[in-house]
Amino acid sequence: MKWRNRGKPLAVILTVVLLVVLLFPFFVMISSMLKSAEEVYTNPAYWIPKSWQFSNLIRLWTEFQFATYFKSSVIISVGSMLLNTLLTVPAAYAVARLRFVGRGMILYLFLVIQMFSPVIVVISLFKVVASLRLLDTYLSLILANAVFTIAFTTWMMNGYFRSIPKEIEEAALIDGCSRVQTITRIMLPIAVPGLVTTMIYSFIAAWNEFLFGLTFIQSKQKMPLVLGLYNFVGRWTTQWELLNAAAFVALIPVLVLFYIIEKRLVAGLAGGAVKA
Amino acid sequence: MRKRILWILVLVLLLAGGLVWAQKAKVTFFWALYDGLTEEYRASLQDAFMAANPSIDVDIVPIQWDLMQEKMTTSVAGGQPPELCVIGTRWLLDLMSTDSVLEVDKVVSKKTLDNIAAGAMEAKIQGKLMGLPIAAGARIMTVNNDITRVVPKTMEELRAEAKRVSKPPQTYGLIMPGKKHTELTDFCYYLYAAGGDYFAKNADGSWGKAVFNNPAGVKALQFMVDMATKDKITQEGYLGLTRMDSHPIFYEGRAAYVMIGAWVESAMKQANSKFKAQYVQIPPFAGQKPASLIITDSIAIFKKARYTKEAGQFLDFFYQDQWKAKFDELVGFPPVTVSAAKLPQFQSPLYQALGQAAMTAKGWPLIEEWAEVSDIIWDANVKAFLGQMSPKAALDEAAAKVNRARGM
Amino acid sequence: MRDFRAAATIPLRQRLWNPEARLAYLLLAPAVILLLGFMIYPVVYVFLISLFRTNKLAQLKEFAGLKNFVYQFTDKEFWQITARSLYWTAIAVAVKAVLGMIVALLLNVKYAGRKVARMLFIVPWASAVPISSILWRWVYHPEYGLLNATLKATGLWANPPTWLGMPLPAFTACIWVDIWIGIPFMALVFLAGMQAISEDLYESASLDGVNGLQKFFYITLPGIRHLVLIATLLSCLWTFNDFNTIYILTRGGPAGATDILITKLYKNAFEFLKFSPAAVMAVVTFFILTGLAIAYARIYFRQEQGQ
Repeated sequence: MKWRNRGKPLAVILTVVLLVVLLFPFFVMISSMLKSAEEVYTNPAYWIPKSWQFSNLIRLWTEFQFATYFKSSVIISVGSMLLNTLLTVPAAYAVARLRFVGRGMILYLFLVIQMFSPVIVVISLFKVVASLRLLDTYLSLILANAVFTIAFTTWMMNGYFRSIPKEIEEAALIDGCSRVQTITRIMLPIAVPGLVTTMIYSFIAAWNEFLFGLTFIQSKQKMPLVLGLYNFVGRWTTQWELLNAAAFVALIPVLVLFYIIEKRLVAGLAGGAVKA
Repeated sequence: MRKRILWILVLVLLLAGGLVWAQKAKVTFFWALYDGLTEEYRASLQDAFMAANPSIDVDIVPIQWDLMQEKMTTSVAGGQPPELCVIGTRWLLDLMSTDSVLEVDKVVSKKTLDNIAAGAMEAKIQGKLMGLPIAAGARIMTVNNDITRVVPKTMEELRAEAKRVSKPPQTYGLIMPGKKHTELTDFCYYLYAAGGDYFAKNADGSWGKAVFNNPAGVKALQFMVDMATKDKITQEGYLGLTRMDSHPIFYEGRAAYVMIGAWVESAMKQANSKFKAQYVQIPPFAGQKPASLIITDSIAIFKKARYTKEAGQFLDFFYQDQWKAKFDELVGFPPVTVSAAKLPQFQSPLYQALGQAAMTAKGWPLIEEWAEVSDIIWDANVKAFLGQMSPKAALDEAAAKVNRARGM
Repeated sequence: MRDFRAAATIPLRQRLWNPEARLAYLLLAPAVILLLGFMIYPVVYVFLISLFRTNKLAQLKEFAGLKNFVYQFTDKEFWQITARSLYWTAIAVAVKAVLGMIVALLLNVKYAGRKVARMLFIVPWASAVPISSILWRWVYHPEYGLLNATLKATGLWANPPTWLGMPLPAFTACIWVDIWIGIPFMALVFLAGMQAISEDLYESASLDGVNGLQKFFYITLPGIRHLVLIATLLSCLWTFNDFNTIYILTRGGPAGATDILITKLYKNAFEFLKFSPAAVMAVVTFFILTGLAIAYARIYFRQEQGQ
């Protein structure tokens, strides 16, 4: 371990340099969101705002109804998180623990699905949503987001279930528990950390989603935050100071949630080799 | 076990049967976010109409212009269009090819229609008005009088004066966007100013093969390329600046000339510009007649929507001077209605310049594939700017592509 | 997997229909039904579109066989874009892996504050891609962007390029944003792998007089080989599909220099309303990605069995 100790100061310096480079756009965001409309459009650009317009952050809520966008985002994200969990847990359990024909195929299917880009399906998906009369409802986004994360969360949950020793479950079965009871009373409590991870993952995926929101939502009341942010891009000018403030507001909740799950998410993605 | 099955069944039923029953007529209006149009105005229009018509709900949905076409396309393709949508008038042909739009006079009152200025009727196609004009604006040039007082009579004079005052990077002679955005405007100013056009006109009035690569087109593009790369009188980094990115440089007071539309005054106000602006005509090339570009936007009414009759009522309400003139004032467009055009607020120098430009202005050619065509021509422009191809070669290549895309 | 071989002697009917299998079907049913409606059907429909002539509303008009494919395959531009998609992915993923490795190595050094560093390194991953992309567009702005202003003011680069306006800088700028989004994931996966390697290995190597670089190549890298493969393949899928970054930054410009399959596909469908060419590109994308996905699945399964 000697070289690591000797390299410590060097590592710290390198880390700082890399962080400055990687966080650059966020520094720009913070600088720009505190400027006035005039300052944003000043050349040459400078870092320290002259007028410190903290009011930009407040104007989002008072003038531009950010509370509504926020509410929509929360409804959509929580809804798709719950639906996703309801679908994922049984499916992942079946794949992880039950013997049936086609198990391997299902896993492959889920994997292939994982790679579909929303861009490819959005046109025909729109027709499905329209024919179910779900256009302009939260439900359309809840469904679409939940379904688009299912493949991934089932894979992750499958991994967590499999990491639970079979003996525990078998003992419970012998004690007279039904399958459903073993799932709800034994497996789930043990898999709680994994469950939380997949839940937050689906929450974040829904929160950050853009294309479905753009195509399915038709009323301002129901627009999620990421879409609301684009309202600052006009036809002839962009209100960068407000857009940056909005980006800041949209980022914070996701960031907090991300920290909670980040380690387990990595484990789930990379498979068994990494311990959560 | 049983319980679980029941649970799942109930859930699936709930999801599949998530029918939304509208209790009263609801008119949805995809509303383009024109600059200057305030949230307050949108909300007050919505509230005022609903107060006056308690049996009808109206939802005015603000949508960013660049996303509008995608939004409209998916909703029409999905069979659930809104009642109303602001569109670029040139999109109408696509919509008509699929029989999606309703003739305006089916639902809008004669009184409202009679009040529309004749010059704003670009959406009148084969004698039928397929979209209600909402904004029609010819393009003009704006001069920063703090930098120059010269009003050029020709493009050549413009270039000379721009060259004289240009002191990059602090002051530029002329703003010219070089990064593709959704509308092909700048090439069009020079093309029309050189007496050129996009397509040959067939005997029946339809548009034939591409002619924008003829000498007039090449002259226009060569002129743009020379100003940008030889004289360097356009703003630095023009290749990375769309219209939206580059016009703020003018508002900031750092450019002598900009070719721009009716929104210039409201945009300058919003940017808190401090210089004196003068509104003049886009000059023609020496020996040519002036010809500006006029762009109209319309409101389309969709056949398949449920409440078209109520949508008509809403439009009648919206097109009263009290609301429509306020809209025009905020957006800065010259009014499309006869009555509003007489109002005192529309007699300023800006509106006079716009009115004069409109008299000789031409629109974009109305063809189905316009979006793709303008994309191809934009790419040709950029290739010439980058020096990858000569203007002639770039336009020739583009013309061949355009003809292929249009099946000619 | 062993279970299957043992089960092979049991009659098919019983294998398909026994209490355990029935329960499995029931548990899988809700997920599969929704997937069928919201994912499989739309994809099948895209395949259909690619075989038909369509109108401007994506309605099928007449059967065209492979004509749509032939039209694209005889177009030089299509192949340019396909090639660009591939090297876009290859370059981006390679750089992500290298930078991710550097970040992982840095985070593996124990010093006070490395938890904070770790938290900060994650931010680009957490931020929504459409938001990050528009932030970057603002950063790259030639007149008002702080990137070029800072480069000039600090003297780091007196004449920085117009990032989104010239072919090579635009490609670099776009790919950098994609890389930037992908670094945290790579770094964290690698880091997790490094932390699972036993310290004893390093210590005994130190006793043998092995230097740091050798340790990296003989202990660290082999130890996380599998992870590198998996992370790389996953990242390939994401990178190939990265629509938002390019579309928001350049819309594929200047003069098509940053167009990849997924952006061209979107333009065909939603700007030009030409759904058949869009569907052809979707199908091509589908086959390329299926190949990658299967490779990923094999490695994933092999590793799982190895456990």
